[in-house]
Formats: sequence, structure tokens, C-alpha cells
Amino acid sequence: MDKISKLSKNIEVASTETTKTSRRDFFKKTAAISAVAATSVLSPIKLKADDTAIINEVEWGVKLGDMVTKNPYGVPSPYEHNNVRRNDPLLSSGDSYATVSMCPLHESEGIITPNGLFFTRDHGGTAHVDPKEFRLMIHGKVKKEIVLTLDQLKRYPSVTRTHFIECPANGSTDWRAPQYNNLQFLKGMMSSAEWTGVLLKTILDDLGLEDDAVWMLAEGSDNAGNPRTIPVEKALDDAMLVWGQNGEALRAEQGYPLRLLVPGWEGNLNTKWLKRLEFSDKPWHTKEETSKYTMLQKSGKAIRYFWINEVNSVITSPCPEKPWTDLKKGDLVEVEGLAWSGQGTIKHVDISLDGGDNWVEASLKGLVLPKSWTRFSYIMRWDGKPLLLSSRAVDDLGSVQPTIDEETSKQGVESIYHRNGIVTWEVTSKGEVNNVHIRKHNA
Amino acid sequence: MYILENTMLKKIITGLGLATSILLLSGCVADKEELKGTAVDGGMKYETKNGMYTSYHVNTQETKDFKYGRTPTQREIRAWDIDVRPDGKGAPMYDMKHGEVVLDENGNKKIAEGSVEWGNELYDAQCAMCHGDFGTGGKGYPTLSGGDIESLTNQLQNPADEVPTEEPPRKTIGSYWPYASTLFWYIQDAMPFPHPKSLSNSETYAITAYLLMENGVTIDGEEMDEEFVMNREQFLKVKMPNENGFYPTVDTPENPKQGVANITKFLGDPSNYGTGTRCMKDCIKGEIPLLRIKNEMNNFTPPASTVRDLPKVEVEAGSVQPGQVAYENSCSACHGNAAIGAPVVGDKEAWEEVMSKGLDKVYHNGINGINGMPPKGGNMDLSDSEMKVIIDYMINSSK
Repeated sequence: MDKISKLSKNIEVASTETTKTSRRDFFKKTAAISAVAATSVLSPIKLKADDTAIINEVEWGVKLGDMVTKNPYGVPSPYEHNNVRRNDPLLSSGDSYATVSMCPLHESEGIITPNGLFFTRDHGGTAHVDPKEFRLMIHGKVKKEIVLTLDQLKRYPSVTRTHFIECPANGSTDWRAPQYNNLQFLKGMMSSAEWTGVLLKTILDDLGLEDDAVWMLAEGSDNAGNPRTIPVEKALDDAMLVWGQNGEALRAEQGYPLRLLVPGWEGNLNTKWLKRLEFSDKPWHTKEETSKYTMLQKSGKAIRYFWINEVNSVITSPCPEKPWTDLKKGDLVEVEGLAWSGQGTIKHVDISLDGGDNWVEASLKGLVLPKSWTRFSYIMRWDGKPLLLSSRAVDDLGSVQPTIDEETSKQGVESIYHRNGIVTWEVTSKGEVNNVHIRKHNA
Repeated sequence: MYILENTMLKKIITGLGLATSILLLSGCVADKEELKGTAVDGGMKYETKNGMYTSYHVNTQETKDFKYGRTPTQREIRAWDIDVRPDGKGAPMYDMKHGEVVLDENGNKKIAEGSVEWGNELYDAQCAMCHGDFGTGGKGYPTLSGGDIESLTNQLQNPADEVPTEEPPRKTIGSYWPYASTLFWYIQDAMPFPHPKSLSNSETYAITAYLLMENGVTIDGEEMDEEFVMNREQFLKVKMPNENGFYPTVDTPENPKQGVANITKFLGDPSNYGTGTRCMKDCIKGEIPLLRIKNEMNNFTPPASTVRDLPKVEVEAGSVQPGQVAYENSCSACHGNAAIGAPVVGDKEAWEEVMSKGLDKVYHNGINGINGMPPKGGNMDLSDSEMKVIIDYMINSSK
């Protein structure tokens, strides 16, 4: 995703309007400005008296349905055909191999992404590995070097854990200004699954590491390989070799038949189509971790080995694709979203209705697991007035999601990766929702 | 002012001690005392206790002495272990194939080496169509030369800057990459993009030398000329201009673990890269600085929609045409991308012009190369008849 900085060169910096009015007038002012609408949104269905959907027989109620033998592998309802991954040619070099497809977070339910909607980031296209010719080699500073077939690997005792995977470039188009008016492209370079595989610790404890084995190289068998260097300490903590994704074999796009899972860390460290783990006393400084996955700072120096996906959150309902245009003044409505941290477990999520001036704590709901998506909820009665809806996550480490200014004052705007500044949705009086930034800017 | 439903906030206030309540009055919840991460990334490390790992039950039975798999052979390791480290480990001495040293016609080991001049020829034939002449970019793919270290402090159009920089930082091989090993590794492993791992170690040294020369990188203070020959010995002398442009320090040969500890320390302190404060009330002093979308990016595939209707066109499954798969595997990286300059499949006008030369000439050009396109697009494993099937597919898809 190094193209993003180049791309932004051609994009005029966004509106530099500052609200000069007093805070009392603020919402009045935002309401006057019309919204941008790029998504074809489902228009609300009006419930009339003597509704034909009730008094008439529905078509599917008076005939036989599909035979149960129709789809040996089930597919979504045809009505859900717009719930798909999307891509933007601007985010790639022009081909569709070394690029990314975005997960439709606005249609995401719970904390698991269906396998067909998991975001895909490839460096040279999706490889199709023949499982019969799959081999895993573990060598270097291990006491017992080994090659394994897939079936042999899957004989190791398995564990199953739920973790998100996030590309560090997620949200990077917004370093300078808001550019996408939808959730899918703003935050869709991440997904979550229940992964099954073997803890790397189980294998490494058995093989035995040399005393000076400090670093591990993980490499894929695809055309790009995407080698990355990982400290042995992480390999022995919670890293896994996974072959199962949400109850079935990994999808090809996720590295079938085997990927490395490095919970909470940059997506590209979770090597797909894994073939080789080498151990050493020195880091490799691989091709991607020098030329790409480094973060240039204002000083002109760059941060390297920035492994973690920092504490983060976003409101998923409402969002630009799922607005409140069907709501009436006085309706009770749930504000819902996702929070996540690559360094721990979500502890709190706060909600602001006024762009971050005042905050209130939301409720967490469902399973709250380490390095996993966590759902939050805030139920409110909407008075039909404009809002600036923001969310802010805090993890059990004590890390607090920064405002855009807190992040850019430290990093500048050329980092490309690891943008976790607070996301704000503008809700207009009509219920339309827009991506906006609360940040210092000059005319 | 919008009134918040503050039940949760009240809960926080009553649940906290006096010291934090005072902080609350000033608008901050002091949730953050001391960061308590002990994991290698400075984050939380969870231990297995009483058979539980956080919320997960864990099998704590002994797992030792598995008998699966076997020891890899030395040849297997040589075939796969082709990475190149900054310290020179892996920079090849000889040309290699299938884990064995390649022998020349006299039966001697073939030294891996290549000149700048040869690298230039290889680059023009196999790389320039994507990376531009001399690595200057312009085709959509990464620009490889023409950067400068001074530009790395540029902050293009930072909205908070009084006078936003109009120029972006120019990150290329010479201005940004810390080690030449990255360049060798990239070419050997993943380039040329449509058919990687097709270059010998000698060819890789040659292209490496050419690109270093284009980036003005010197060896022992000397500029490289056309006759300069790159090999392992010369390669180990290369020092990249931006080697010291990265932190934390991770290369600590006297104590290998120190490098990891340096990263742990850096990542464990979020104030190094921007952290928030859990302010709850009156957090923004003065006006709300609102920035809206000015130029929206909305060129999506498929178009954005949340409409729930039946899809308009039922796509017929399994209708793959002859030549289509080979086209997608070997040709579409260039012929599916308008930036490259090759006739784009589906572009009716462009293909009418191509066809005006007559079908035999089109076959001939495809097989023997034309303009920026190498013979068979560099896919020398395709037979002439396979090429013709692919060309037929491309023509038929562009009518």
C-alpha cells in the first residue's frame, strides 16, 4: 500500500472549512450543508395498512422451494448480492494481483467474518497450492530441523482461537483528509475469524531452539513469498500455524493450506501459503520490511518493525452505507460498532455525539477476547438533530485511541501505516451519514 | 449543547477512588496509570492459569517427542534458503539451480556475476515496461530511482501545517532502502512481476548493479560504470545512503536479544507514536475543527450499494474460454493495465489497429516480441501454438 502517499499527491486536500461560529450554533451550521451520497442505499419500506405482504400469500409460501440437494456447498441468499468485497483500482498499480479487496464491514454481524467476505491482500495474486505438494520446512537455529507434509502437521494437537487480522494500511487514505465516504473503504482492510491450528510453541518446544535463536523468518510459497522477520518471543507466546478458518479449511485467499497467525500484529506478518520457518540470531530486514512496511516520520527517519495494530474502534451502525434516513424524530436507536487492539483486550469504549467534546461510556457486548474484535453498543433516543458521532477505545494495557491531532502531531502525515485516529461520522438532520475529520487544519 | 445520557459516566465516577475523581473534575479519567505490558510488543501477555488462557480452556497435557516428518536434506535447504541478509548471508557465490551449483561448459562452478551494461539490457527487456526507463516510474508501478534523502522530511499537504509542503517525500532504492540485500532479494524472489524466479543469480546481480548505478550508489566511493561487474565480493561492499534512516536499533550482534528489547521498549510506550487521553467532558477547547470530504474517492468495483434485490445478470458458471486462463496467468499484468502502454484487452479501437497488420503479423509479434514486449511476453515456457490460442482469446475479447 505504498501507493497511497503517491496517490494523495493528485488529490486536492479536502475542504478546509472551520466552524467559526460558537459551539451553540455548531449543529445548526452543520445541518445546513448537504451530504455527499455515493452509495445506493436501500430505501426504507413504508408499512401501509392492510399490507399486501401480509394479506396476500407470498410467492415462496405457495410452492416448493429448492431441493436440499441443490447446493452441496451453500451460497448466500441471492438478495444479498451486494454484500461483497470491493476494490478500488486507485489502490493498486493498475493490475488486480498486487492489491487489496475490502471487507464489507457495514454488513458485518458479530465478531466473525464469513470466509467469502474476508478482506484479501495479495502481493502477486492468490496462489492455489496443491496440498499433496505442500511442505513445511523448519530449519536454522533449531536443534532438530524438520520437513512436514500437511497431514503430518495436522496431527499436532490443535487449538482454536478468534482473532482479527488487519492490514497496517487500513484507514491510510485518511492521513491528510477524509477521502472515502463509506465504512468499507475507510476500515475494510481487516476481518476476523475463528482460526484452528497448532501453537507454534508446541512444535518449537519439541524441536528445541538454540540459545541464540532470537529471530524467525516466515516465508510463503507463492510468487511473492512475502518473507517477514518475527521475534522468537512472539512465536513462543501466541503465534499459531493455522489450517482452519471458521470451521473449514483456509480459503485460498487466506493462504490455503497453511498460514502463520501472529495475533494482533500487522496483517502482512501472518504469512500466507507458508512454506518455511528459519531461525537465526539476526533479523533479516526482508524486502518488504525495509522497502514497504516502515513508517516515515516528520524527522525524515522511519520506524521499522512496528508490529502491532494499535487500539482502535469504529461505529458500524450508523455509517455512510447504513444511515438513519429511515428514522423519525424521537426514535430509540442502537449505535453499534467494533473495537479492537493488537496489544490486548478491549476494556472500555466511549461514545461522543458532539465530535469528541463530551464522551460517555458505551456497553461492551458478546464475547470480549484478547486481540479480537469486540462489539460495543450505545442505545439513544435521536431527537432528529445533527450529530458528530465518534468512538474511542481503551484496552487493558491502558492504551487510549488517539484523536487525529494527537496522532499526527507525533507522526505527521507520511507514515502510511498504522493510522488509528478517532473516526467521526457526521449525521445530518435527514439521517444521512458522512465521513468527517475533527482535526486542526489551515485554509 | 447536546445533553449526553450520562448513566455510564456516573457509574465510572462512583466506581473510582478519590484521586481519580479529582482528575475527572478536570475532565480526564485517569484510566491509564502505568502501562503493564510484558509481551514482546510491549502489550499484554496472558499466561495459562488453572487450565485457562484468558477465556479459553486449554489442554495442558504433556506434548513432547512427536515423531512426525523427517530431517531436510542439505540440497532441500539450499533450494529453499535463498534469502539475502544485510550482513551478506545468502548473497550467492555461484549460479544455482534446484539446490545445486550450476556448472559451465568446462565443468567448473559458474560464478554468479553480471555487469551494469548487461543489467541495463535485462532491465530494458524485462523491467522497463512497468518501472519506466531508468527506473523513473510513470507506469503505475513503483518508481525505482530519482529520489533524494532530503525529501524524506517533506510532509505533503499536512492540513495542520501553516505552509503545507507541495512535494511528497521521494522514497526510492537510493534514497530510502537501507540495505542492498533488499534489492537483490526482491528481484530474485518476486521479479519480473508476471514470471518471478526466472532470473539467474548472475542476471540478478546484473540488474542489481544497474539499478544501484541509476540511483547513484557508489562502491568504495567510486561510481559504477557500464563495465562494472557485480558479484558477491562487490555486493558486500555496497553501503546504502539511508542505512541510518531507521529506528529502533535492531542489529545488536554483541547481544542478539538487545535488538528485540529495543523494539519492545519503543512499542511499549505509545507516547512514541501518538496516544490518546481519556478525557470525558469539555475536551475540545474552542471551536470544533471540522474537515469534510472535498474530493471523494468512489471508483469502486463493484459499485457501492446496499440494495437487496435479485441480481440483474445471472453469471453463467464454468464458461472459461480457450486461452483465457493462460492469458490471465501470463499476459494480463501488462495487457490488462492501460498504464503499461500495451493494447488493453477489451479496448476495441486499440485491437482494431493491432489487427490492421493482419493476423499473421500479430501472431509473429506476440511470439517474437514488439516494442516494450519481450518475446512471448517473457513466458518462454509457452509454445508457439499456445501463444496463438492466447492471442485469439485476446482478439476475440476485444471485438
